[in-house]
Amino acid sequence: MGITDILFMVLIISGACYLLYRSLWKRKGHCQGCDSETCDVKKR
Amino acid sequence: MSLQLSRGEVTSPVQSQESKSTAAPHEKTITVAVAGNPNSGKSTLINAIAGTRLYVGNWPGVTVEKKSAMFEHGGRKIKLIDLPGTYSLSPYTQEEIIARDYLVKEKPDVIINVVDATNIERNLYLTVQLLELGIPLVIALNIYDEAEQKGYRINTKAMEEMLGVKVTPTVATKKAGLEELLKAATESADNPSRYLPKQLNYGDDIESAAAVIRTHISEQYPSLDGIYPTRWLAFKFMEGDSRAAEEASLKMDAAFIDKATAHLKKAHGDDMESIMADERYALATGLTREVVKRPEVRKVEITEKIDRWALNRFLGIPIFLAAMWIVFKLTFDISQPFGDWIDGATAGPVSRLADKMIAAVNGPLWIASLATEGVIAGVGFVLAFVPVIFAMMFFITFLEGSGYMARAAFVMDRAMHSMGLHGKSFIPMLLGFGCNVPGIYATRTLENPRDKALTALLLPLMSCGARLPVYVVFIGAFFSSYAGTVLWSMYVMGIVLAILMGVIFKRTLFRGESPMFIMELPPYRMPSLRSLMIHTWEKGKHFLIKAGTYIFAVSILVWFLLNLPWGVENKKDSYLGKTGQIIAPVLEPVGFGNWEAASALVTGLIAKEIVVGSMAEIYAVEQAEEAPTTVSEDLKEMGTTFVAAAGDSFRNVFATFGIASISAEEDEGASGLKTVIQKTFTPLTAYAFMAFVLLYMPCVVVAIAMKHEFGSWKWFGVAFAYQMVLAWGVALVIYQGGKFLGIG
Ligand SMILES: Nc1nc2c(ncn2[C@@H]2O[C@H](COP(=O)(O)OP(=O)(O)OP(=O)(O)O)[C@@H](O)[C@H]2O)c(=O)[nH]1
Ligand SMILES: [Mg+2]
Repeated sequence: MGITDILFMVLIISGACYLLYRSLWKRKGHCQGCDSETCDVKKR
Repeated sequence: MSLQLSRGEVTSPVQSQESKSTAAPHEKTITVAVAGNPNSGKSTLINAIAGTRLYVGNWPGVTVEKKSAMFEHGGRKIKLIDLPGTYSLSPYTQEEIIARDYLVKEKPDVIINVVDATNIERNLYLTVQLLELGIPLVIALNIYDEAEQKGYRINTKAMEEMLGVKVTPTVATKKAGLEELLKAATESADNPSRYLPKQLNYGDDIESAAAVIRTHISEQYPSLDGIYPTRWLAFKFMEGDSRAAEEASLKMDAAFIDKATAHLKKAHGDDMESIMADERYALATGLTREVVKRPEVRKVEITEKIDRWALNRFLGIPIFLAAMWIVFKLTFDISQPFGDWIDGATAGPVSRLADKMIAAVNGPLWIASLATEGVIAGVGFVLAFVPVIFAMMFFITFLEGSGYMARAAFVMDRAMHSMGLHGKSFIPMLLGFGCNVPGIYATRTLENPRDKALTALLLPLMSCGARLPVYVVFIGAFFSSYAGTVLWSMYVMGIVLAILMGVIFKRTLFRGESPMFIMELPPYRMPSLRSLMIHTWEKGKHFLIKAGTYIFAVSILVWFLLNLPWGVENKKDSYLGKTGQIIAPVLEPVGFGNWEAASALVTGLIAKEIVVGSMAEIYAVEQAEEAPTTVSEDLKEMGTTFVAAAGDSFRNVFATFGIASISAEEDEGASGLKTVIQKTFTPLTAYAFMAFVLLYMPCVVVAIAMKHEFGSWKWFGVAFAYQMVLAWGVALVIYQGGKFLGIG
């Protein structure tokens, strides 16, 4: 197993951890419907 | 007297608004607050106008926080604010406080007051209060279709004249009358002075007392002019509404107000709040009498007929349980073939495809393994249950939209209240069937912090969609001939334990009386297919997003944990395996003391679907060497098996109703996981495991929501602790009890 493998591994693991952090913590667990403050804009 | 007053009132807020709008009258964003009684169709109206997908349901109290939607109409930017429904603007419930704070403090350019045309009198009670605010107002006479069906004749012209505001009949569900409503709203926002509502006359004695207080306020706080409607403030002071004073940072001169209202109280022999309420009711009743003609003979409506059964003292709960049973049976039958299809596709063609792609780019072997045994096994396995989850969400949406959920809450309330629990907490709990998180947020409708905390604690016992995959895997492996019933028993177990725990908490942590809960029951309605689809999608979408985000991330991490330290021969010696081994002895008495189950449960703390995803990774079986296939062959196979699955699903619906019958045969292509599970579990330990997954702790997202809603980790800590004990205890009873009875 080479240095590139280790590098890749660290990259993937930290990517996964970041994704976990972002999707779990940052959204405060909101999940259904238009749960953000503002819903999408639609032109009429 | 009252005329003078209203004119004086009119000038102040108008000036500020005109000075705002004269600068660039057609570039400014118009802010439109949508206010009205609960269940009058405010969210439906906004969805129809702006194309948003706000949560809609046929029961009062769906919207609990203010939501906004931006859109353009005729080149104008319009911001719509969905407010929680309220019956009045007194500051007693959380909904009232949110709605009122917004209207008084943020001062929208115009209010769209959604009035339920089938219930004008009660709705006008709120309208009367909205008029006091001195903000331009237009009325959307919504649910006009049902009013017409009932034979009501509403004289909108007379209504307009009496209230001094535009009245537009609308049918939000059919998008009727929206153009006119928007036109009226923008016009009123552009010319606020012309469209200011009439100030209704509350009678000489009230008006003169109010005038005295207003003069007093203006003298003491001249800077207040134009910021707060002083007539409204005066009314609030008279009612002894201290919150209003606090908001305007005024000192309420109690002695002065007492003096000003003394003769009123004496004359009416009542407190000021009741006097004011009576006066407003009288106005609403009088107005209604003038504008609505009801048919002479009232026919017994279908809603009443159904409710005679659905709300029956003895039959109510059995009917609720039966309705649930049908839902679970249907959910399972419809979605099962699709689940099998995805299962087969991910195990076969998709993995092969991934292998080929990696071989093509010359990637290292371990990445191929990560992709197939990690991501595809983990995420793919969870994805296999998307059809089940969508089917479930569809039925939940149907029950919500039809109005039956409100009955379920009512029936359960009777049961819960007799045990000292607050029935209103059943609404957040019903929401919890979809996903526990919105349920946690919905607890803010409970006024009493004790009830709120108690509800949040019990909510994770409601079986959410994320637990379905676990049930489905185990039911598929062990109980396929009575799948619906076993699934149903999980949900019922959740509810029963929630009631039981509620009683225990009420006796210990949360002593005290709960107020009576009075819920208005909406009429039964047939939700449109379109809205069913939209809201099913909105609920189910979340599970897809989850699969793409944190389930994806966790399945990668699980793969590493299963393969580190690098080059472990046996998964048992990996980090995850070691963790599992440490925990396994604790699970020995409950029947699944192996490291595989233990470590799957640990990963499931993030989200409960992950339990099956991890199991798929842990038990990742070597695929037998298969005859090499080409990509196009694989795609063709996926296509034909999908068509077969759709056919099976369709036939299953009829089978559910006994029209056709297909045997719940053990499917020949049983996935790898199913066979491994059948070897390591028995029906008894499988059932204990399912119960454990139902109960063992709220997922991380619920934990974060609790922290967010309560501002501390305290309640999550309590939930975590009691649920662990409960899960273990229940699984123990099931396993040891079953063994004692000689099952398994
Ligand atoms: N027949 C008919 N039903 C309607 C109409 N507008 C709304 N509904 C139904 O009324 C129910 C309540 O709609 P919502 O939009 O959730 O009501 P809301 O005013 O937002 O309610 P809260 O958020 O609880 O205050 C839903 O079942 C809608 O389908 C209408 O114009 N006609
Ligand atoms: Mg709403």
